Amino acid sequence: MKQFFGMSQRGSLDEALQGLHQPQFIMLLSNNDQFEAHVAALEKRFPGVPSIGCIGMSYQTGIVEKGVGIIAFYDGVTAAANVLEQISKMPVRYIQRLEQDMQAVGGSSNDTVCIDFCSGNDACVLTTIYTVLSKRGISLMGGTGDQGRVSANGRVYQDAVAYGLIRNQNGRVKTYKENIYHQLGDYRFIASDTDRANYILGSLNGKSAKQVYKDILHVTDEEILTRTFQNPFGKLNGDDTCIISIKEVHGNALACFRQVNDSDVLILLELGDYQAIVQETIRQIKQDFPRRSAIFSVNCLFRYKLFSEHGYMQSYLRDMSALGNHAGFVGYGEHYNNRFVNQSMTCVVFE
Amino acid sequence: MLFRKNKQSGSQVQEEKSLYPVLHVADSLKAYQRELVKKEVASLGELSRVGDSFSGVLKEGDHFQAKLQDLGDSFSNISKTAGQFGEVRGEIGQSVSEARGQMVALEETFTQVQKSYDAMTETFSNLEAAIKEIQQSLGKIVSIAEQTNILAINASIEAARAGAEGRSFAVVAAQVKELAGEIKELAGEVEGSVTDVETRANQLNQNMGDSQQSLDQSTSIVSRTEESFEKIIAVSEGAMSVQNEIAGVISVSQQELSALRQFFDRIKDQYQEVVKHIGSASRLGTTKSAMFEDMDNMISQIPPLIKDFEGKP
Repeated sequence: MKQFFGMSQRGSLDEALQGLHQPQFIMLLSNNDQFEAHVAALEKRFPGVPSIGCIGMSYQTGIVEKGVGIIAFYDGVTAAANVLEQISKMPVRYIQRLEQDMQAVGGSSNDTVCIDFCSGNDACVLTTIYTVLSKRGISLMGGTGDQGRVSANGRVYQDAVAYGLIRNQNGRVKTYKENIYHQLGDYRFIASDTDRANYILGSLNGKSAKQVYKDILHVTDEEILTRTFQNPFGKLNGDDTCIISIKEVHGNALACFRQVNDSDVLILLELGDYQAIVQETIRQIKQDFPRRSAIFSVNCLFRYKLFSEHGYMQSYLRDMSALGNHAGFVGYGEHYNNRFVNQSMTCVVFE
Repeated sequence: MLFRKNKQSGSQVQEEKSLYPVLHVADSLKAYQRELVKKEVASLGELSRVGDSFSGVLKEGDHFQAKLQDLGDSFSNISKTAGQFGEVRGEIGQSVSEARGQMVALEETFTQVQKSYDAMTETFSNLEAAIKEIQQSLGKIVSIAEQTNILAINASIEAARAGAEGRSFAVVAAQVKELAGEIKELAGEVEGSVTDVETRANQLNQNMGDSQQSLDQSTSIVSRTEESFEKIIAVSEGAMSVQNEIAGVISVSQQELSALRQFFDRIKDQYQEVVKHIGSASRLGTTKSAMFEDMDNMISQIPPLIKDFEGKP
């Protein structure tokens, strides 16, 4: 298979589609103003080709902040795209769509991946989707788009998750998750007084979550928001750590960018040597895949901001391009199998 | 009865069409899930506290082991000191041995001196005998001189009787008499010298006696010193025995300490095993937490599904 990346900083879909022929799966990364028009035009240009889309920034060797980006797979994939609706309440109502698409695409854990663009309620959506994917051991990666809208097969949806099932006909696929943080101290907290609907974290080990965070890091209420770049929370799940960003202070609690549940075990994280960690990811991918057709990634908006502030974003894209054809988009949350995480990078590598 | 039955039948039909029981089950499951989460929070908290306690125990164990190590080091130091004591004892023994060697040499020297004294005593006896012989010879010489003098006097008398013819004889007799007087005088001088020699010999004899007495005393002192050395050696051997006993006690103590440390090592291994299990249980707890979230995510979709099915907003 092959990967195509086209973009237009001024939002011209035609410009972005130049050079794309006979795509087998298309991903549209558009802007808030032109999203509907881009979705319709794309469907018109490539009718019947499975496609998903969302509002967000895309990248290859540079960032497309407000224009349009097209990432497409061709020459050797089998794909299907669809959408689960009403995701804020009951995405499972549409689960048969996914099951039927799974049947249609076939595939297994080795050669098939599910890519999703979600408009919200991510944890519930991922739980729901993964009940189907896990039966075949198929991995998922994706992210949250902006403005609560996604598209699938030429139609725009609100309160929905658009997914694509892509089967590599000529090799393996594998997903990765990159965490540039490590544990700070040996703090270990059990979350309680949470509000899962509003992503509120009330207490840590029975004490005010805000106060615990402030006491450990010696920061003011105002500093908490920017401090999340350096010190987000980590939710332990076995040997894995899912990063949770802090959104804002909510009374004595903290509002996060991800659902926190009572009995979640949290730790405090601190920023590691991200350049070295990126190099390690690249090394690992090269080791796992000596021959790579394409790499599609989702980078968190916070990572994009952090890397940009540190003047590293361009170097990062250059480093990743050393892997081969690399493209992706900047998400508001990242998806890895049934895990919804923040401040991370997830990617899928096609052999 | 029939009416009531009919009413019940109608009601049952309505119930069969309703998905309320599913909703009820979902609500119940949700309540159970919430309760389960509360229990899990409590369990994790308890597990965390157990983990903290065991971490504390491990820290205390490490502290205790450090103390045991210090104690072991102290025993080693004692053993080392006892070893040094042994070295000192060895040095004392060697010094005593050397001193004893020198004492033996001194004793031999004393013996040689004693022999020399004996030889000198014998020589002195011979000297005394020779002096007596000289004195006897002098007595004879004096007697001969006196007889010669008498003879000279007699010759003078005879010469005087002879008159002029005996005058020259009288001269000879006078010279003989003078000679006899000189011999007597010389013999007296010799006797004086011999007496002087005898007196000095007696003094020498006295000095030799004194020296021999001193030598005897020195020999006696050497003898007693030898006894002292033997006592020192004996005491040193006793100290060696004490040192060996100390070393034995230290060795036993070290063995017991080693056993104690092994015991604590085993306890520490057990503690670490417990901590490992607590860690595993804790990790399992975190996966359960993710499963609770999944369960909650799925169960929470049932009520809106039912409402949707029933056509309710």
